[in-house]
Amino acid sequence: MTTLRFTGRNRDQDPLLAQAAELPKDVAPAHDLWPGVRARLDEVPRQGRSFGWPMAIAAGVVAAAVSALLTWGLMREPAPATGPLAGTVAAEPDFVPVNYGSNSALGAEQLAARDELLVQFRRKLDRLSPQTREAVIANLAVIQRAADEIDAALAQDPASGLLNELLVGAYRQELQLYSKVVTTNGDTTRRT
Amino acid sequence: MTDLARQPKAGEDERIALARQGDVPAFEALYREHVGRVYGLCLRMAGEPQAAEDLTQDTFVNAWRSLPGYEGRSSLATWLHRIAVNAVLAKRRSPVGRNEISLTDDSGEQMEFAAEPDMDEATPIDLERAIAALPPGARDIVVLHGIYGYSHEEAATMLGLAVGTCKAQLHRARNLMRGRMRMEATT
Repeated sequence: MTTLRFTGRNRDQDPLLAQAAELPKDVAPAHDLWPGVRARLDEVPRQGRSFGWPMAIAAGVVAAAVSALLTWGLMREPAPATGPLAGTVAAEPDFVPVNYGSNSALGAEQLAARDELLVQFRRKLDRLSPQTREAVIANLAVIQRAADEIDAALAQDPASGLLNELLVGAYRQELQLYSKVVTTNGDTTRRT
Repeated sequence: MTDLARQPKAGEDERIALARQGDVPAFEALYREHVGRVYGLCLRMAGEPQAAEDLTQDTFVNAWRSLPGYEGRSSLATWLHRIAVNAVLAKRRSPVGRNEISLTDDSGEQMEFAAEPDMDEATPIDLERAIAALPPGARDIVVLHGIYGYSHEEAATMLGLAVGTCKAQLHRARNLMRGRMRMEATT
């Protein structure tokens, strides 16, 4: 058992911190992680774009504002019972989940959680009125633009805490959007 | 200073230059030189070996993507650590990455207790165990400042916190670790 005294106030004087500083800096993983890294290298594009931080930050703010507007719309919009007229083909807006780009620190676990929610969201999306569905998709497009710009800025500065915070914020916006659609009780007219 | 804590191996600049141009063997060499330090930080911050392995791989994949933009303003070791810290924080902030329990103590102060991490039987000394048992915020500053030698200012920047918050977290960490180690000493 190591006995330590805790009387110091800084790194040099504090025996605890002095002892922490003596711990090994390198710790070997239980097995070789390189094959897993190597397998992913060919799949990722390397950076080359140059975007400014202000754009990324502005995009993050826009995403938040638009998502709030969507929430308001989902809560108050009455459900129009109008489907496409017989003989016409409804324009099916393309729905694509947000792509966080090649510089994202989001891991497979986070994206898997998103995909689980997506299953319910897709089901509900088909039951929304066309207007609301288009609004949802427009919101996702805004979040996508924010994610693109943050990703591009991360390519220039991958160690930026602020940019990573913004990216996680965009991810949360996306999840909140899906969650709001899944949980809302109004505006669930099934199209014919 | 931080960068003096780990002197680059000879020829690292050349390997970085080659890797920036897409040379995978050069990048693998850099990986071999730095993986222990990256994994060590991820393991101590994440508190769990499987998560640390995933985070380590994510760190090197992100580094590969971004290496063309690496300008050498900090050492490669520090740059990798910053990417690793961001990966850890992103995982922790995500809905599936949070595993701590928050409670309120008698005075209404918010208290956080990390979920008990998986403790390796081979954990060398009780200090490592005491660090692993800290709540995430306190653990982060002990790992970055105490073990890896980053200044309060550097650690605050990496964690996106005010310097004063880092110092307060360190004070809190010391108290918690003292309690933990005393408790272990009496059992």
